[in-house]
Amino acid sequence: MEKINFSEELELEGYYEKLDNELEVYLVPMENKDKYFLTYATKFGSTTTTFTPGDSKREVTVPDGIAHFLEHKMFEQEDGVDPFTFFSKSGTDANASTNFEGTRYIASGTKNYEENLRYLIRYVNSPYFTDENVEKEKGIIAQEINMYKDEAEYAIENTLRKNTYHKDHHRIDIAGEVEDIEKITKEDLYLCYNNFYQPRNMFLLVVGKFNVDQTKRIIDEELRPLVNKTETIPIIKEIKEPQSIKKKEETIPFNITIPKIMLSVKTPISNFKIDDQFKLDFYLRVIMSVAFGNGSLFRERITNHNLMTRFYTDLESVQQYKTIYIYAESIKPDELLQEIYQEFDHIVVTEEDLERLKKVFIAQEIKQADYVDGVTMSITNDLIRYHRLIHNPIELYKSLNIEELNKVLKAIEFKNRALVTYVPKNMPSFDKN
Amino acid sequence: MEYVKKNLGSYHLHLIKNTNFKSVMVKVYFREPIRKEKITIHNFLTTMLTFSSEKYPTRREMFLKTQDLYSCSIASSDSRLGNYLNTSFRLSVLKDKYTEEGNLEKAIEFLSELIYHPNVEKNKFDEKSFDIVMNQACLALSSIKEDASGYSMIRMLENMDEDSPISYRAFGYLEDLKNITRENLYEYYQEMLKNDDMDIFVIGDIDFEEMDPIIRKYFKQKTFKKTKGDFLIPAKKASIKKRIVTEDNEATQSKLAIGCRVMNLEDYERNYPLTLYNIILGGGPDSKLFSEVREKNSLCYYIGSTANKLDNLLIIRAGISRNDFKKAIKIIEKQMSDIAKGNFTEEDIDKAKELYQTAIEEIQESESEIISSYYMIELLGVDDIETKAKKMREVTKKEIMKVAKRIKIDMIYMLEGVQE
Repeated sequence: MEKINFSEELELEGYYEKLDNELEVYLVPMENKDKYFLTYATKFGSTTTTFTPGDSKREVTVPDGIAHFLEHKMFEQEDGVDPFTFFSKSGTDANASTNFEGTRYIASGTKNYEENLRYLIRYVNSPYFTDENVEKEKGIIAQEINMYKDEAEYAIENTLRKNTYHKDHHRIDIAGEVEDIEKITKEDLYLCYNNFYQPRNMFLLVVGKFNVDQTKRIIDEELRPLVNKTETIPIIKEIKEPQSIKKKEETIPFNITIPKIMLSVKTPISNFKIDDQFKLDFYLRVIMSVAFGNGSLFRERITNHNLMTRFYTDLESVQQYKTIYIYAESIKPDELLQEIYQEFDHIVVTEEDLERLKKVFIAQEIKQADYVDGVTMSITNDLIRYHRLIHNPIELYKSLNIEELNKVLKAIEFKNRALVTYVPKNMPSFDKN
Repeated sequence: MEYVKKNLGSYHLHLIKNTNFKSVMVKVYFREPIRKEKITIHNFLTTMLTFSSEKYPTRREMFLKTQDLYSCSIASSDSRLGNYLNTSFRLSVLKDKYTEEGNLEKAIEFLSELIYHPNVEKNKFDEKSFDIVMNQACLALSSIKEDASGYSMIRMLENMDEDSPISYRAFGYLEDLKNITRENLYEYYQEMLKNDDMDIFVIGDIDFEEMDPIIRKYFKQKTFKKTKGDFLIPAKKASIKKRIVTEDNEATQSKLAIGCRVMNLEDYERNYPLTLYNIILGGGPDSKLFSEVREKNSLCYYIGSTANKLDNLLIIRAGISRNDFKKAIKIIEKQMSDIAKGNFTEEDIDKAKELYQTAIEEIQESESEIISSYYMIELLGVDDIETKAKKMREVTKKEIMKVAKRIKIDMIYMLEGVQE
């Protein structure tokens, strides 16, 4: 395995190898920790629903929500032993989660390392789908979908994505709709499984307290012999997302007391002329933080005028676009929006701002590198988001400069935006005192 | 891990040496016997103290200061611990090795500044900050129903026992907000400093000899305090017939919250067999509730139980479809009576013990958790970690069954999603 050269300040050591079957392995041992954290993941998330299987020429479309459904069903095993039961025998915490780009299976604990690592690899490599167990899962997932449907913050985000994108699959809810999942069959699941749960589409990440040599041995025995199931990589249908906004404004009555607004600003990545996605994301985050963060004059203004109770910004990358999100809760949403729109035209980032944020981001990287969970999250996000490990974030932060930042700022298409407002069904009055 | 505790008269200083972390954490605790009418003003005060201070009179200046201190984090929290109201102010900051010489001390000074030098003029809190916090609190307390799951829990407890602290709303009451003024808030602040019990914890790769004078310098308090309260809320009997209350909500999913009384347990039973009972019943994805209600009957996505030891309560929560109410209750009751009858295996017990063991070991991964565990030892006189691990291993099936027989459903509450 080759050594990973992490930024010196992170005080991390790590090892990497791409096996012959193309599966990627990352090991980050942390001597002074008590627990280990295992992640076995596939770069198959909810956005992949139309593809040409690796051993066929005909394009297929599977129901929305299938990646998430598949994640649930991986816990079904032919021998009847529930993976949760297996892991809990050694007090190990196990779980799984699906997002737009990937699905990860995790286990973390302090005991039984070797057996648990072997078991994690084996259970994710032994699907067992039957008509009956697929049917049984539909009720559970329907409850999960309904739970999120009721949550305004989650629901508004979904509505906004639907209105921002015409075609990109980020517009589809990760879990799908109840009608979609009703259609899922065990054949659909096997098709997706065989195409995307192959070594070439997966990675294993081990962080925390463990023995590297012992782990290498387990990798030799469990991962190296795995073969790719299809001859070639399945081809995921490329989606050409138009630059325009699908629906610029929408207002929806919802079961809430305080109105909520969410804005998206959609900019083609080609506008920015920066190849390094990590760098670009960092610039965008700095800009958002300076303009709208807790330390901004904008935030001070809207706080003083009681224009919001909650406020945050976020960034999303889809194939050809960077989308900035702004979420706020406010009893005066129109006034708040005017403030935001005005700010869009007046954002200034000084050299001093940039230097302060570099210091902040570097300190946060060092803090994060101190925790097994933190390192795991950060590496998993890198691999799913950037398809590579950002081993030297500190050097990258230091290399950022104000000229480049200002170019990025100018390239953001603040006018290309969508707005969704959730209003209370019965608008209450907020008379205080 | 080295640990010393010093009685400094007005508070106890606890120093914990742990070289495994790059950050140092300081936690300052205040606590007082809970009074329902004081919860709101208490929370208001906590928010005010972290919102602005004499030297950093706006939220923005406060925030920029934390960034200057290499992105140190300051957080506060209010919670109820049995009969007590507990507040903590927490600082987490990288040690100087990763920042610059003197940064840690400056951050500690900043934390003390928030607590001892609030944004006050002529015995009144600053008007601007006060108005903003008042407005935010008013909106927050007007919109508690937006968190349906949390709301169902509050309503269940209020229906169960309106007069007991178990049902006090930890975030306060809208009607009490009206009575808070800049003047009486300042009076309350002084009362808190004077009367509240106080503990300060520092954990990290620290030198005790160096840290001790730093804390004394920035946390000077003259009042001498010596109290020891009773945290435990006495056990009550469950009503003879279980009570059912439902309320409507404009939502799809229904939130089920079940309150069970835990009756007549000794300290040992509450701390050990009850913990295992809870893990077996609803402590995770391998529990009886999860496997029966979710996996076998597909009735929910989430279900779980928690044991509130200081309240002598066990609470079960799930998100279900309103039509499945009766079916879900029946299955839940069956799981509870099964454990009481001994219909569970030695393997179930072993797994629960292992889960507990891992949880205890993972405390070492978090500075905040380590402090909390020392704090609980300090307050409640619970066993230390090694003793806990040892005693838990020896719990028997009989003991768990005995505890199971003392747990009885008292209140079944459902916030019904009427949109289905």
